[in-house]
Amino acid sequence: MSRYQVSIDIGGTFTDCVVSDGTRLAVVKAPSTPPAFERGFMDALALAARAFDADLAAFLGATGRIVHGTTVATNALVEGRTGAVGLICTAGHPDVLTLREAPRKRAFDWRLDYPKPFVPRTRTFEVRGRIDARGNEIAPLAEDDVHAAVDHFRRCPVDAIAVSLLWSVVEPAHERRVGEIVNALWPEVPVTLSHALNPIPREYRRTIATAIDASLHAIVPAYLGRLEGAVREAGFAGTLLVANCQGGMMTVGQIAARPIHAVMSGPTLAPVAALDLSGEPDIVVIDMGGTTFDVSAIRARALIRTTEAPIGNDLLGLPKIDVRSVGAGGGSIAWVDSGGLLRVGPVSAGADPGPAAYGRGATRPTVTDANLVLGLLDPAYFLGGRLPLDAGAAHRAVATVADALDLEVAEAAYAIHVTGNENMIAAIEDITVNEGIDPRESFLVAGGGATACHIGEMARALGIGRFMVPGVAAGLSAFGGLVTDIRGEETATLHTSSSHFALDAVNRTLAALLGRARRFLERAGVPEAERRYEYAFQARYRYQSWEIEAPFEPAVGALREADVPLLSAAFHDMHERIHTIREDDGEVEFTTWTVRAIGAGGGTAELAATPAGERLPERDTRRVWLGEARAFRPLPVHDGNAPPAGAGVTGPALIDSDTTTILLLAGQRAQADAHGNFHVSVGDGD
Amino acid sequence: MSETAERFDPLLMAVLSRRLEAIIREMSNTVMRASRSAVITNARDMSCGILTYDHRLICVEEAMPIHVSALELTTRPITELFDDVKEGDAFFNNSPYHGVTHHADMTLCVPVFADGEPLFWVLSRSHHADVGAPEPTTYLPYAATLYQEGLHFPCVRIQERHEDKADIVRIGLQKIRAPHVWYGDYRAQVGACRIGERRLKALVAQYGIETVRAFVEAWMDYGARRAKAAIRALPAGTWRYTCTHDPIPGVAEEGIPITAEVTIEPEDGLVTVDLRDNPDCVPGGVNLSEACAAGSCRIGVFYNLDPTIPHNEGSASRIHVLLRDGCVVGRPTFPAGTSVATTNVNDRLINAVQCCFAQIGPPHGLAEGGGNFSAGLGVVSGIDDRDGRPVPYVNQFCVGLSGGPGTHGHDGWLTYEAPDGGGVLVIDSIEIDEAQYPILMEERRIARDTMGAGRWNGAPATAGAYRSLAGPVSVFYCSDGDLNPAQGVLGGEPGAPSLNRKRAADGAFRTLPSFHEERLAPGEAIHYRTVAGGGYGDPRDRDPAAVAEDVARGWLSIERALGVYGVALVRATNGIDIVVDEERTRLLRACP
Repeated sequence: MSRYQVSIDIGGTFTDCVVSDGTRLAVVKAPSTPPAFERGFMDALALAARAFDADLAAFLGATGRIVHGTTVATNALVEGRTGAVGLICTAGHPDVLTLREAPRKRAFDWRLDYPKPFVPRTRTFEVRGRIDARGNEIAPLAEDDVHAAVDHFRRCPVDAIAVSLLWSVVEPAHERRVGEIVNALWPEVPVTLSHALNPIPREYRRTIATAIDASLHAIVPAYLGRLEGAVREAGFAGTLLVANCQGGMMTVGQIAARPIHAVMSGPTLAPVAALDLSGEPDIVVIDMGGTTFDVSAIRARALIRTTEAPIGNDLLGLPKIDVRSVGAGGGSIAWVDSGGLLRVGPVSAGADPGPAAYGRGATRPTVTDANLVLGLLDPAYFLGGRLPLDAGAAHRAVATVADALDLEVAEAAYAIHVTGNENMIAAIEDITVNEGIDPRESFLVAGGGATACHIGEMARALGIGRFMVPGVAAGLSAFGGLVTDIRGEETATLHTSSSHFALDAVNRTLAALLGRARRFLERAGVPEAERRYEYAFQARYRYQSWEIEAPFEPAVGALREADVPLLSAAFHDMHERIHTIREDDGEVEFTTWTVRAIGAGGGTAELAATPAGERLPERDTRRVWLGEARAFRPLPVHDGNAPPAGAGVTGPALIDSDTTTILLLAGQRAQADAHGNFHVSVGDGD
Repeated sequence: MSETAERFDPLLMAVLSRRLEAIIREMSNTVMRASRSAVITNARDMSCGILTYDHRLICVEEAMPIHVSALELTTRPITELFDDVKEGDAFFNNSPYHGVTHHADMTLCVPVFADGEPLFWVLSRSHHADVGAPEPTTYLPYAATLYQEGLHFPCVRIQERHEDKADIVRIGLQKIRAPHVWYGDYRAQVGACRIGERRLKALVAQYGIETVRAFVEAWMDYGARRAKAAIRALPAGTWRYTCTHDPIPGVAEEGIPITAEVTIEPEDGLVTVDLRDNPDCVPGGVNLSEACAAGSCRIGVFYNLDPTIPHNEGSASRIHVLLRDGCVVGRPTFPAGTSVATTNVNDRLINAVQCCFAQIGPPHGLAEGGGNFSAGLGVVSGIDDRDGRPVPYVNQFCVGLSGGPGTHGHDGWLTYEAPDGGGVLVIDSIEIDEAQYPILMEERRIARDTMGAGRWNGAPATAGAYRSLAGPVSVFYCSDGDLNPAQGVLGGEPGAPSLNRKRAADGAFRTLPSFHEERLAPGEAIHYRTVAGGGYGDPRDRDPAAVAEDVARGWLSIERALGVYGVALVRATNGIDIVVDEERTRLLRACP
């Protein structure tokens, strides 16, 4: 029987594993092992088996499902270890990947190099043939050019071919024909066609997604093959699923066929986890690691998506769940600039040597060092005592910044701590305000072991009244894998407008998308009763060029004439929410249509509740520098491991557990729920 | 600049400066996403800023340099002209004689009050697609006076109590072509400024007026300290550099030489830019507004300082600008025409200032960047009848951007656009342009053998072609750089000049004039090539591996690699890749 459900999220430093046995959750961590990530994966499984006092074979034999969030695709892209791609493009437009949409730069900075294109010009081949914006053929496809391209790519050689022709999203005939010719001439080379992968207008975004997908054919399928082999050999007979960048999961076969969906798949599980942990409508999810700080948001119970996710010097091109990373983590280094302003990051001490407090010879102060000086961390009880910290080294490192700022060491440490907070707050504001979300009205969920000693002050600075530190905070993304759904999406471009709405064409498009979505769920083995579909369109006012997505529900599976004003109204509302202005008599142009296929996934609803209790045991007291007092104050330290349900603590206080430390400020009250999560609310004057 | 505020809490300093940057980002994002003109929404030809109520620039973020480098001149007329500024007002201004850069840069300013007291200005400046000029373009090189430029709002109150004043808006709706586009762009500016207003009020409510005031002073001091520290690292001296704008028939037959004189006084942390020794205003639209002349001197200096210095009143105070009345790069004499003030002569001015620093020698300064306004940035108008109903349109396309200047250690930035833009403009998506307008973008590619050769190259030009898919269209452009290319410095060579040609229906090419409106019938196409950047240093000192890379990516021919760079290259065994012939290269470079 399948007693266990397992989720494993491999990050750059740690491989997090969360296991549910139906009554309780276990979180274990093993070091990641790049580039052979499957070793860390198996190590984490072995630790998990031990947590349930089972040997690995028995544990795996009793495991029904393993969900995997992987960094293998992200790592390959960041380190430039992907397969070599040949790009076939429309004649006259060979520099789409070089010009991009003009890479972003600081206006006054000229001491920098223009970034190289993802596919070199020598691996780019132009073919004649042209479709216009309305799908008319301006020039026929020159098939000779395609033969020449294949000949060229064989000589290079390349590992995969990407085909991205102008307007293939409106009329894919040329692109399909190129695919047929390449398959006939060179059947063993993988081919990605842009209209099939990412059917959106904007040639750069479609092309870069196509090229990235092609480049990962040499990486992701082989990795998943090795991983599946290893886990099967060890005794696993259940279902292996892989998290995708849509906040869901797919079968190994589906990810191997579209490997771009594996990019940044792990972090997208964090908002999925938060959605399960909290019933709040608007949630901001934060996750502070060693070198980066990830932020995502949930609006009206829906995950927020972006079409502008960056990867290296490029965009990913493919719409994905919006999770933003900034260089602000525990390892971010503090320094003082020539004008005397304190800066924190973006340079990080990394995992090795790490912060000065790790005692590996680093001398520059990091956020972790500052936290240790402030008393927020217990040098003897970091990571449950597994990594003793060197308080003297941290103090000496922070003193270098204190001297430059002419401050006491503790004051300087506090300045570093708060400046680090500000970097994270800026990232939170960036994702929320751009989406029309008021962070003040949101609920905050904190993931990552280091976050909880910053969240109280960040919540106060942002004016957020309530937040949550889950019991699984240290493995938040991996937990998301336990509760996520099978998820895929089908998109098509069809231009129409509110004044001349092409009802029949839209309905034909929606029917075709629904058919594709249904087949996706069939292939993933989702039973009929567990299938669900969501509809959305992207639209803009006439002459705007940036679309906004709005959800809709066709009442009987198809739109009727009377629904058209409702679509426009949904757009006006969304436009006002995001940009504060609306034009009720403005013409709305609809550009793309999406059907999301969802197959109900796991869930942990049946987890046993922890016994109730009044108080959290108090372990000792620790002297902590409090910003408002500008002095050290002794604070009670409570034991946060397996807290009794309903037990509460009022700040100022600390809650220490094996994986995290929560700092509660004056007026903040934490209360444990029945599943080990702490809910913190800020006193409102009572 | 006083040092009194130096002890402002370093913690709050970091916090509040980040907050203000976030507010501007949010304002800019609103303008970009909610506007209608492609030049704003696609190309990001817009900027936002925050000033104190007494007209000192606090903060700009990711803005167009020319838009924001003399913003104090834009808000000052409001308090000079109105004695009843109140909460809920908004002021609209596109008058070059009231502190605006040029007439298409329509600017909305909103006062921010806290507890009844005015504290700040928030400002949104967008390049609108039309200004109601006699011709459907926002750049009129032959408009000798303001009377030929179309509609001006000379700093008028366009909102009261947070509501549009319908009579003022009606002026724009009647006078401007494609009025729904203009109004949509204007409303996006309103949205941005009101967001900025709301956020600043919340900030003041959270931290208190006195703390915010003290922060502003400390922030200005910080900007000044950073600028002083950077200037102290430069040598003392005076340098001059002259750039020449191409001839404009009937306006400046011999071209317009622009000279900058830069004096650096490191011990005082001061740079002085003197423009007084330059020609008088010309009878055309290329005279600079005061906002452009003052702003561009600062830009040329800031391009040579640490880019992380905040661009506020404090750092600007370390740059003294000397202007003259009635000068083509000074304070124009009313009603001299300034329609093209932000680009052409202005780009020559920024080049002149930045190249003064190259006279110091390596590693200082920049070469000349491609200042360009070829048909790749053409203003195109016509009738879109693809949906069976004729809709008139006018829009500036940004399909071809000029190449950036080489500098010590780095090649020029490819998507540079022009000196005034700082490389922040976004290049148009071919598909988005084609979806919105009945235009076919036949071609767009990086042009081979155009970059200014140097130890560090100027960036190459971009070349392309487009034509109408509907009826006839007209294309306006002001292509400075067809004759005088972007020069190299310290042994670097000039980049290729710009080029505009018409392809007739029979395929024959004809070179077009530089300052021009061309009508294209169906079947005819316009071919453009932008200006390439100038090189920095001797091309024979360039790393041979970088030369091989230039050939491989199609930016350079094997012949020029040999002749100009002294690098011999051969094909790799796959017949595709390029490798350096080390031995022959050594021999080539050994002889002078």
